[in-house]
Amino acid sequence: MKLYDILDLISIGFKADRFKTLMSSLGIIIGVMAIVVMLSVGEGLYSGVSSQFSTLDLDVIHVIPGRFSFGGPPARSPEEPAKFTDKDTKLLENIPGVRNVAPQTSAGVIIGFRNTNASATLVGIDPENEHDLKTKISQGRFLTESDYTSIVIGSGVADGLFRMRISPGNRIRIYYEDNYMDFRVVGVLREEESSGIRAGNINTQMYVTHRAMKELLGRENYYYGTFQVTVDDPASVDEVVDRIKLDLKRYHRDEAYDATTARDMLSSLMSILSMIKYALAGIGAISLVVGGIGIANVMMLTVKERIREIGVMKALGATTRDIRIQYLLEAGLLGVVSSIIGIVLGIAVSFAMGSLAGLPSTIRIQSMLTGLLFGALSTVIAGVYPANRAAMLDPIEALRSE
Amino acid sequence: MRVISLSDIRKTYIIGDAELPVLKGIDLSIESGDFLALMGPSGSGKSTLMNIIGCLDRPTAGTYTLLDRDVSTASEEELAMIRRDRIGFIFQAFNLIGRISVLKNVELPMMLKGVPRDERRARAIELLESVGVAHRADFSPLNISGGERQRVAIARALANNPEIIIADEPTGNLDLKSTEEVMDILSGLNREGRTIIMVTHNPEITKYCNRVIRMRDGRILDQSSVEQS
Repeated sequence: MKLYDILDLISIGFKADRFKTLMSSLGIIIGVMAIVVMLSVGEGLYSGVSSQFSTLDLDVIHVIPGRFSFGGPPARSPEEPAKFTDKDTKLLENIPGVRNVAPQTSAGVIIGFRNTNASATLVGIDPENEHDLKTKISQGRFLTESDYTSIVIGSGVADGLFRMRISPGNRIRIYYEDNYMDFRVVGVLREEESSGIRAGNINTQMYVTHRAMKELLGRENYYYGTFQVTVDDPASVDEVVDRIKLDLKRYHRDEAYDATTARDMLSSLMSILSMIKYALAGIGAISLVVGGIGIANVMMLTVKERIREIGVMKALGATTRDIRIQYLLEAGLLGVVSSIIGIVLGIAVSFAMGSLAGLPSTIRIQSMLTGLLFGALSTVIAGVYPANRAAMLDPIEALRSE
Repeated sequence: MRVISLSDIRKTYIIGDAELPVLKGIDLSIESGDFLALMGPSGSGKSTLMNIIGCLDRPTAGTYTLLDRDVSTASEEELAMIRRDRIGFIFQAFNLIGRISVLKNVELPMMLKGVPRDERRARAIELLESVGVAHRADFSPLNISGGERQRVAIARALANNPEIIIADEPTGNLDLKSTEEVMDILSGLNREGRTIIMVTHNPEITKYCNRVIRMRDGRILDQSSVEQS
């Protein structure tokens, strides 16, 4: 039997049973769609992340109390988190290769402005050591060592939190627990593209001196939350990290602390991304298995319905091979058509995720071909058993059946 | 010329532990141009014999020579090829495929043989014309009358121009008028030189045949030859 004749016979069957054909292919459609979405979103996330990391400071080390964890729940450790003080600042500054140490302490606070409240993150800093922040002032001025009730705010705090814009010269009140302090805004920072990788988004943060921070927090013992350590040479960053971890032991033998670099964060992020990718791949694989079972079911049903027809075909001289090829092709064709529909839907979903959820996606021809390959493969595998059943039918039995 | 030669053909079914002999030694020769009626009560083994003659089934023992070829030991693929090229089947229940057109039904054996599309379409139309149902070519077989269906089935049986036609109660589901039409076509084909083997319960239509064979209990009871008028 010639190929186009077989295809002709198959397409007649599809047309006659449009609804059944569609229902049977749904699983494959969804599976292929999941694969295409997975590959597109995965690709998009990877390229998005790596483009952000090309602008990331590779010469910065974050030293934090406790154990570093990214994305997941905070890492647990049996030790108390380290309590960082000026002693540690000195120690870090004396490590060879370190150019700058910027201690920071942050807290979630409530801002009061013209009788309305909003929440934001307040960060206590050493103005001298925040060379990076200093360059980001767009209005007013940056803090100085002698400032006490002066505050510098991020662009998102200035614009968007309150009905009215906060400008340099405005007074705001900051509440922390039972305490409050009044500040005068002296500067507004430039809007930064959010990187999502930094410890915090500077657009929604506000900065005051450690002196003011200590007063506001009302703590007898004021500790630093983190050190941003800048090194002279980005190439030496790992050495410095090791040295920091070693040296801090002197003051914090039984306490937990950690030092991380942008590259550490990148690899943590990448492991999260690959987890997401595997999860999506799992969904795709499961739908393909379920879809394959669906196809196998429908093919079995089709073979059962057509037992007599298969008997007739055999009586007329169809070989077992003819019948087997016909039903394998029927499954395969169903798979190819479903896969193409799945690819189209997958592209649509990827675009929708990109524009609605802000998830970057990159659609590549390889993703589509992978979807097609797996979709077609799973249907052909699903078709093997029904096709064999059809091919092995005894023509006499088949002709006798009702 | 001898087209079919059966020698001590036996068929035994095994059901559980029991052996059920259905054919108990059949000897039969069929000559080219014979129009043979096979009669007998149900359970006499005539269907099984037809299936063996039609190469749908293989005997348990015995020798079956079809067109100078021993087919009792042929493989399933070889049997399929013989059915396709040498034998035309006509069934009591017509056995047309309902989801494809009358024309496609007639084309089917030629499709299986790999005859090019245009050639087989032309032949299919020609065959439908010869049995008087060309006007139904694009109909579904489900939407035509019983007599028309059997004529389409005859056209399909002739598609690959077989030497032998096997008809299993071809008029069993037909009214008197259609029965006559179908039998006229069959005897026309026989006059052209085709060998026809027909199972029937209807003694009326044996008048078209030149030989009648009666079976009982897995054996041939008697053979009579009729001189055709």
